[in-house]
Amino acid sequence: MKTTAFLVFALAICPVIRPVLRADAQPKVTMKMGDNLPDRNNTWGAINEQINNEFKAAHPGTEIVTESYLDQPYQQKIKIYATAKQLPEVFKYWSFTSLLKPLINGGFVAPLDRADYEGLGYLPGALDSNTYGGKLYGIPVSADTWVIYYNKKLFKDAGIDKLPTTLDELYALVPKFKAKGIIPMTTDGKDAWPLSITFDLLTWRIAGERGLPAKALDRKIKFTDAPFVQAAHELQQLVKSGLFQEDLMVSDYGAARNLFGQGKAAMYLMGSWELGLGADKGFSAEFRDNVDAFKFPTLKNGKGNADDLMAWFGGNYVISAATKNMALDKQYLQFYAKRFPEIAWEKQVTLPAQTVKARPNDTVVAKTILKIVSEAKATSGTPANDLSTPRFKDDNENAIRELCSGLITPEVFVKKLDAAAEKAAAAKK
Amino acid sequence: MPADPTRSRVTIALLVVPGLAVIAFSLIVPLGLSVYYSFTDSAGFGEFQNVGFDNYKTILTDDPEFWRSLRNVMLLIVATIFIQNPIAFVLAAVLSRLSARLSQILRTIYFVPAVLSLVIVAKLWVDVFNPTFGILNKLLRAVGLDAIAMSWLSDPRTALPAVIWIILWQGFGWAVFFFYAGLMTVPRDLEEAARVDGASWFQVYVRVIIPYLFPVLSTVVVIDVISSMKQMELIYLTTAGAPGQLTQFLSVYLYQKAFVAGEYGYGNALSVLFVVISVGFTLVVQRVMRARLR
Amino acid sequence: MTPRARRHVASRRVGMAALHVVLVFFALSQLFPLLWVLLYSLQKSGDLFGDALLSLPHDPQWANYTRAFTEGGMVSYGLNSLIIVTISTALSTVFSFCMGYAVARMTWRLKRLAFAAITLGMVVPIHATLLPNFLWYNLFGLIDTRIGLIIPYVAFTLSFNTLIYIGHFQNLPNALEEAALLDGASWPRILWSVVAPLARPATVTVAVMTSLTNWNEFIMANTYLASDELRTLPFSIIRFQGLYSSDYATQFACMLIVAVPALALYLFFSKHIMAGATAGAVKE
Repeated sequence: MKTTAFLVFALAICPVIRPVLRADAQPKVTMKMGDNLPDRNNTWGAINEQINNEFKAAHPGTEIVTESYLDQPYQQKIKIYATAKQLPEVFKYWSFTSLLKPLINGGFVAPLDRADYEGLGYLPGALDSNTYGGKLYGIPVSADTWVIYYNKKLFKDAGIDKLPTTLDELYALVPKFKAKGIIPMTTDGKDAWPLSITFDLLTWRIAGERGLPAKALDRKIKFTDAPFVQAAHELQQLVKSGLFQEDLMVSDYGAARNLFGQGKAAMYLMGSWELGLGADKGFSAEFRDNVDAFKFPTLKNGKGNADDLMAWFGGNYVISAATKNMALDKQYLQFYAKRFPEIAWEKQVTLPAQTVKARPNDTVVAKTILKIVSEAKATSGTPANDLSTPRFKDDNENAIRELCSGLITPEVFVKKLDAAAEKAAAAKK
Repeated sequence: MPADPTRSRVTIALLVVPGLAVIAFSLIVPLGLSVYYSFTDSAGFGEFQNVGFDNYKTILTDDPEFWRSLRNVMLLIVATIFIQNPIAFVLAAVLSRLSARLSQILRTIYFVPAVLSLVIVAKLWVDVFNPTFGILNKLLRAVGLDAIAMSWLSDPRTALPAVIWIILWQGFGWAVFFFYAGLMTVPRDLEEAARVDGASWFQVYVRVIIPYLFPVLSTVVVIDVISSMKQMELIYLTTAGAPGQLTQFLSVYLYQKAFVAGEYGYGNALSVLFVVISVGFTLVVQRVMRARLR
Repeated sequence: MTPRARRHVASRRVGMAALHVVLVFFALSQLFPLLWVLLYSLQKSGDLFGDALLSLPHDPQWANYTRAFTEGGMVSYGLNSLIIVTISTALSTVFSFCMGYAVARMTWRLKRLAFAAITLGMVVPIHATLLPNFLWYNLFGLIDTRIGLIIPYVAFTLSFNTLIYIGHFQNLPNALEEAALLDGASWPRILWSVVAPLARPATVTVAVMTSLTNWNEFIMANTYLASDELRTLPFSIIRFQGLYSSDYATQFACMLIVAVPALALYLFFSKHIMAGATAGAVKE
């Protein structure tokens, strides 16, 4: 048994010793990066690989090693790395207060020189969304806006020839689709953020005033005020009316998307990053030819109009404050900022945070998204869900879930929101 | 050899130290750190402050979700012990009486769900329970039972039983496996002696075999309790606590607080309470089992 | 035959038939997920989660499997999984066998304390240990190494395994060991030649539990590993996870491929369960 134990022990340390004994040919510099794009062969991940290869060619002797996970595991890993002081030097992150501010407060990310990025065509508000305390901490990569995608063929089959411009018109479509066995609209209900964004939008449509949730978070007004209560009623009504898929609250992102892509649902409530639906080979050609988008409707007695756009800049890139290759990392960011919008638009992957020129072979839905953005009269900025502390986000999402599951009334909902906002404000002090 | 070889200090040390060292290194140390963090308001990174017993106070007096998740765990434990185990035991007993060939084939088949990743199990049942497209509702509608073709995982009335069902179903293969392995240790002559005495199969099992297997059974119960407390992935991948908090379980709540809500200190306080409660349950179970043995 | 005997025989036949129906029913319900994964893994990703109800796709995408192998890094990840799981299973089995025996059979003062530590080890939630262990292992340079994963894999299975051995040893009669001790055999000999064969059902249980638990384990591997060269099989699916659209079908193909060695492992070990059955008999 002793020999076995020794053998096992020897086997165990071999993998540890081997790499130490090996004399590797080290490249001049190895850049450690991180992002939430594990699939390196398709869509955004492929773009990153392309940009990385171009960068390496322009800077011989540079090697790039990227660690990628999906959103949730990625965020956790970044937090662990932050605590262990082992952050990747350049990594993809989010400009949201709930995510970026803690990193800034802890001194984990390096401030950037804004002058380096002027003149790169950033949309208004893009660079501001990454500015905290007057300093720029990250560069935005995608512009996100909230729209309703729809399937033209399914609309025609149900005898609908006009797109809904008010919520009442939207509700009128529900029985028409249900008669054909089609789900009127899908969205990701399992993760509460899509419904939270919709709540923000409803508030705006009702009050006609921009930035109410932000004001409530700053405690200038309260979530228990009238517009929020009415918005909560409207949101609960949206779900109760049978507009969405029956198991909305456990239906996750992939399920909602696939239902729409398979032609089982007529509409899809989601962000502009899904403009790639028009080019997704995973769905039928018939679907791709028929997918388009329209603006979220207005309310009959609401003061807001359809060109008030829920729009924000979500994804960004940041540099670790502890990096040893600051100059090279900055060069990388500038290179990324130049190349990404071109390639991303060409591949129809997402709406970049910089202006892009419409191309003749853009898909219909991509053209529509560009049009919606260009017609925007006002933009919202970061949704309330991500505008505060992580704790607020958790409380908010739980409350949204309870509201939309019909477990609490709108009045109780806004009370919970307000209590959560109060807690978050107290924590900031 | 010393006077009583079962007291040989050297042997005992050699047997026990490696295992205890690993436990100390990988479990006790982080537990200690966990206790430390539980007295802070840490967000998992960055600065934090000591808050004394605040986290614990909040959990025990002002946190309905904690109590709900605890209640759900206890329901799961009860369901596992009184529903999954008896069925699995009976099946294992039947398997032990079949021919070796048939028993081997069936045992392998019964174990299949246990080797599949939990992601598959979760996605599978979300699919089956889908109110519009799922197999269950399709079957119910086909036989005219439309009235009960509900949205199993999102309806407040059925969500918890549905989630518990998924967990029981997944653990079933393991339970059969444990019981079968245990039944294989029962000496043949013990059984035969009872049969010769004219006892029916039922009596043989209840009067002879089950009492013989008591240590095995109590181990299984303890494992049931602990794994029920630790159940996380299956719940997170199906309902994640929804609707509302009706299907919230302790391990999921802990994870959400510590890693999603950024309340790392609070999450660690939950962990410590988790450990205390688990140890408490284990002691209770062991005491009950020991009493029944007498 | 008397009418009574005839009724008895008839009812036994019905009973046997019913029993077989139940067995088959369970077998089908356990095989169903395998069928489900197989059928889904042959679909195109966009067709999933909708109406595709257990029907053979008219265009089976066998390419999903080739892609799973070539782009899923199966070979490299598979090798890592094999090394890590084999070593951690071996270590965990050996350590828990030794500890289980010491607690069940030996006499020593600190036994209660050790048992308390073992029980404590059993109830620690994995998520609570991720950050502390990361920081702690980092001090020893164990992050992003195979051994840095083997140690927690052993640790988290040690307590359950020890408990299984203890339960098993408590039922084992001492006769053989006492005889060997009287003959003057040393402890290593006793444990290896006398106790281990008797403990085979427990060893099989422990080995199967440990290896299968660690084969599918992802959270700790995700936290403690960073380099692609060291990743284990559960990572094979993340290559097919995109930000918005994922290649679910190929992910399913990966998961099915990963399940095959696990099932093979179970088959290999479960054959040995039978061996312990006769070993309980000791002629007094």
